[in-house]
Amino acid sequence: MNNNSANILDIKNIEVTYDDVILALHDVSLKVPKGKVVALLGANGAGKSTTLKAVSTMLASERGKVTKGSIDYDGNSIQKQNPSQMVGLGMVQVLEGRRCFGHLTVEENIISGAYSRKLSKGDIDQELEKIYGYFLRLKERRKSQAAFTSGGEQQMIAVARAMMAKPKMLLLDEPTMGLAPQLVAEIFNIVKELNQKEGVSILLAEQNTNIALKNSDYGYIIETGKVMLEGSAESLLNNDKVKELYLGISKKGRKNFRDVLKEENLNKRSN
Amino acid sequence: MIDELLFFMEVLVGGLLAGTMYSLVALGFVLIFKASATFNFSQGAMVFFSVLAFCGFMQDFNIPFVLAFILAAFLMVIVGLCTERLVLRPLMNASEDTVLMATIGLGYVLEGLAQAAWGVEVRRLDLGIGDFPVPWIADNLKLFISALDITAGLVAAIMIIGLFLLFKYTKIGLGLRAVADDAGAASSIGIPLKHIMLLVWSAAGVVALVAGMMWGARAGVQFALVDLALKALPVLIIGGFSSIPGAIVGGLIIGATEKILEVYIGPFFGGAIEGWAPYVLAIFFLLYRPEGLFGEKIIRRV
Repeated sequence: MNNNSANILDIKNIEVTYDDVILALHDVSLKVPKGKVVALLGANGAGKSTTLKAVSTMLASERGKVTKGSIDYDGNSIQKQNPSQMVGLGMVQVLEGRRCFGHLTVEENIISGAYSRKLSKGDIDQELEKIYGYFLRLKERRKSQAAFTSGGEQQMIAVARAMMAKPKMLLLDEPTMGLAPQLVAEIFNIVKELNQKEGVSILLAEQNTNIALKNSDYGYIIETGKVMLEGSAESLLNNDKVKELYLGISKKGRKNFRDVLKEENLNKRSN
Repeated sequence: MIDELLFFMEVLVGGLLAGTMYSLVALGFVLIFKASATFNFSQGAMVFFSVLAFCGFMQDFNIPFVLAFILAAFLMVIVGLCTERLVLRPLMNASEDTVLMATIGLGYVLEGLAQAAWGVEVRRLDLGIGDFPVPWIADNLKLFISALDITAGLVAAIMIIGLFLLFKYTKIGLGLRAVADDAGAASSIGIPLKHIMLLVWSAAGVVALVAGMMWGARAGVQFALVDLALKALPVLIIGGFSSIPGAIVGGLIIGATEKILEVYIGPFFGGAIEGWAPYVLAIFFLLYRPEGLFGEKIIRRV
């Protein structure tokens, strides 16, 4: 993991503030190796979305700023980029809450993802067919207005739309939010497939720790804007603290890593 | 009996055609409302600004009609460019209300600029189309319908078809509809908002120019054109703020009802109800169908 060129994304010690006063991230460092799936885990408000938006440069439109540290994508700093330039460089974010274009049809939604590419009508049809190959459900519903499709279908539209931009890297923000377990599995299968067949690197923000880690190569756990723990997905799944705090296999009343650290300090002192 | 029916037809057709003039003004509002969810208070000023410039080019510089039109349209693209760069971009993160207020300010700037550049007197605009009944129709159908009304109807039809094709079948049209639905999501997939805004404001500027030419030919090119914006408001409420067909149908409804009411009900009120009847109609729509006839309903899945 130390070889820089092997990482498509390299975030070093970033600090993010909103409105110049609200400190959202203190110190987040993470790496996404090329072609891998990396999970970014944490509770509501931990800073997952902020981290993703810092990477896609969408922070600016929410009055957020990276005030310290650096973000390198594909070997270059993203500091001076804007969201549409990032899409041009192959980095696409799938926003939290799906955000389909409700009045457009499913197919128009997907085609809109190719906006940044110069494609002929024939190329677009070809790309569409390829993408429908991953999202069979969407092909059946291609003519419906997106707002009338189900939550799971809308999530698929959002991912399919992002894939139309031919990304090298996808940022997925809570793709399984509010979905039934069966759909969660379906979405993850598609994500996995896209990763393996299309070679897309993925940074995935999730609250659903268990299924996210099962589908990832590596994981980071963040709390109140700080990375608390990182490791291979397997090691995190077997980590007692992760089990206790994030997988609901709990003992005592500890709620987060800060409590754990406090307790450990107390133990050290009493020893 | 036949005479009465003919008279009614004449009022109706005259009203419908006059309504297309309202539709033309309303179109400009719809374009901008679609892209930025803002009621553009400067649309009336844009009408005034563009048509006054057109008159200025033609009358002060003796530039021929077609060239003056192209120059004025080009000027409106520049106005769109400046608006995007100087007003909209700095307000990118601001609320819709802020943008709304900014459009009021923009309106004053345009009014001032137009009068500073071309003077304040009323100008006559002669499009070569008279505002008098077409003899052929008067002879054969016994209806007295103004040539200018018919021209306005045709021009409105052409513009609507053009805009419809632009939105439905072009890439930038798709981008515009995407931005109209969710600007954040549109930018997340690489649709550049500034291009879309530039397109919309330029298109609204050209629409304003055409509307201004029609109204200027009828009522003279003067400051009162700014208040045309107020006539478009009931049209938009009835048709729906975000719908191009709505702007057309809304204009037709307002045009027809105000003329019919004026002729048949007006005498009971001492006449001149044309001025306020559309607003009464608008209030009924606000009460019973606030999104208008063609407005996009806010779709919520249940």
